[in-house]
Amino acid sequence: MIFGYLDPGSGSMILQAVIGGLAGIGVAFKAYRARRAINKAETGSEAGDVSAVEETTQPAES
Amino acid sequence: MSARWRKPPSPPSPELAHPEPAPTDVSTPDPGSFRDPASRVVIDGDKVVRLLDERGLEGWRSLSATKFFRTAVADGRLIESVEVDPPDGSAAALAHPRLDFISYPYEWTFSMLRDAALLQLDLLEGALGAGLTIKDATPYNVQFVDGRPVFIDVGSFEAYRSGEPWIGYRQFTRQFLFPLLLRAWAGVPFQPWLRGDLEGPTAEQMAKLLPAGKRLNTSALLHVRLQARMESRMGDRSVRRELGEAGFTADLILANVRKLKKLVASLEWEGADQGWSTYVECSHVTRDRATKGEFLEAALDRLGSRRVVDLGANDGHFSQIAAAKGALAVAVDSHEPVLDALYRGRPGPGLAIVLTDLANPSPSQGWAGRERPSLMERARPDLVIAYGLIHHLIYGASIPPREVVRWLSSFGCPVLVEFVSPADEMVVKLVGNKLPHELHPGGEEADFRALLQQHFATVAEQALGEGTRVLFALEPLPRAGGEPVITTGGEPAMTSDG
Repeated sequence: MIFGYLDPGSGSMILQAVIGGLAGIGVAFKAYRARRAINKAETGSEAGDVSAVEETTQPAES
Repeated sequence: MSARWRKPPSPPSPELAHPEPAPTDVSTPDPGSFRDPASRVVIDGDKVVRLLDERGLEGWRSLSATKFFRTAVADGRLIESVEVDPPDGSAAALAHPRLDFISYPYEWTFSMLRDAALLQLDLLEGALGAGLTIKDATPYNVQFVDGRPVFIDVGSFEAYRSGEPWIGYRQFTRQFLFPLLLRAWAGVPFQPWLRGDLEGPTAEQMAKLLPAGKRLNTSALLHVRLQARMESRMGDRSVRRELGEAGFTADLILANVRKLKKLVASLEWEGADQGWSTYVECSHVTRDRATKGEFLEAALDRLGSRRVVDLGANDGHFSQIAAAKGALAVAVDSHEPVLDALYRGRPGPGLAIVLTDLANPSPSQGWAGRERPSLMERARPDLVIAYGLIHHLIYGASIPPREVVRWLSSFGCPVLVEFVSPADEMVVKLVGNKLPHELHPGGEEADFRALLQQHFATVAEQALGEGTRVLFALEPLPRAGGEPVITTGGEPAMTSDG
C-alpha cells in the first residue's frame, strides 16, 4: 500500500462509497465491518459506532 | 489558450529588489511547494521547474502518455510542461511557464472559486477516464491566466490504483465546496475563512453554519452533515485498505465527481449582480472617467510601464486600459460584486483580479510565515494607480493622510493618485457619522501637497470635475536610506501549488 502525502480522512473515504450509490453503500458496509473486525482482534474493543453508516439507507443524490 | 511566458520585469527600485541575488539555478525552492515529497518546485529565472522523484516520474510518465493530457494542455486547462535535464538528486525535471502573477483563493471572488472547483472536478473526471487520478484537491493548484482558471500542478496526477478512493475528496470539500456553500447558501463571504484557515472549514464547522433551510438538503446531508458525523466516529482508524478489499472502484469516484459537478454548477450568489449598478450610479465615475483614462494613458506612454497595480480598481476600467497597452494589470479592490462582474465579463489577457481590503491586505502566511507571500510581495509594480482610493482609506478606515502617502511611496515606483478633498460629496457621505475632531488632520489639498513633497516629485497634475478632486502623477524621490519599504522576505512564490 502506497500512501499519499494528504490525509484523506477515514470517515470521508467511507462517505465517498456511500455517495457513489447503492453499490457503494454495500462497499462502505463491508469496509467498515472489516475495519471493526480488525480492531476487535487487535484490541478487543469496538472500532466505533456504526450507526452513521447504518443510518444511510438511501442512495445518494446530490 | 496557452499560459503566457513572460519574463518578470526588473524590480522598480533597488529597495524593492530581493536582498539575495536573483535565482539562477534550480536550488531556489519555492516556499509554497513542499508538501508533496514526490514533486517540488524551484524557480529558475523566468521558468518554474518541477523536480520529481522516482514516484513523481512514474506519475508524469503515466500522465504525459495520455490523450487526456495533450487535450487538457491544448485547451488551456493544464499548464504547459516540457521535460528538461534534471539536476542531481532528481529523477526528472519539468519546466513550466512562470506566471505573471499568483493569486490565492482568499483573494478570489465567488465565480472564480466556483470555476476553479469545476476545473478540478472536470480534470479529475477526465483523468479517471484515462486511468489516472489527482492525489489532492486544493485551489492552490489553480491559477488564473488571461481570466481563465489553469491547473498548474502536473505533479498531482498519478496512475489510478484499483480499489483506491479519491484521496482529495475531504480536501475538495474543505477548500472548494464548503466555501462556496458558505457564500451561496449562508450569504457569508468565504475569503476571511480561507485566509484565516488555509485548510478551509471542516465538515463539523460547516454543519454548524448551514442555514436552517438547507439542513435537510440532500447535498448538505451527505457532504456536510454525514461527513462530519463519520469523521467524528471514525477518527484516525485507517479504512483505505479495507475499502479496496470491499470492492471500491473508480466508478464510485466518478459518480461522486459528477454529482459534485452538478451541485457546484448550480450554486449561485445573489450579490454577484449588485456590483455594476451601484458603482456606475456615482456621478463622479462617469464625469471623470475619460479624463482619468487619458491621464493614465499619458503616464503609461511616458513610463512604458509593464506591471501596473490598480489599487481600488472598482470595475477594472483603468486596469483594462493598462492591459490594452501591453502591461500586466493587477486590479485590486475590496468590493466583491464589481470584481466578480469583471471576472465574469472575461476581461482578457494581461489582467489579474485580487479581492482584498487595502487597509488590511493579504499577509505573508502559512508554514514559516512564507508559504503564501503577502500581496505586496507579489505585486511588485512599476506603476501604481490609486484612483478613487485615498478618501476611503483616510475617512473610511481612519488611516492618517501621512501614512497613506508613506504607504504609496513604499512601492518605490511612480504613482498616479487622485486627491479627494473634504468638501467632495463622497467624503461628506463617508464622514456623515463622524464629528470633526474624530477626523485626522491633513486632509486639505495644501496639506496633501506638502505630504507628497516629502516623498515624491509631481510630474503632472489635473483638476477634475467640480474642483474637489485632483490627479497627481508622482515620481518617487531618491531615498535617503533606512526608509522602510513594503516588500520583505524572500523571492515571491510564482507558483502556488501545495
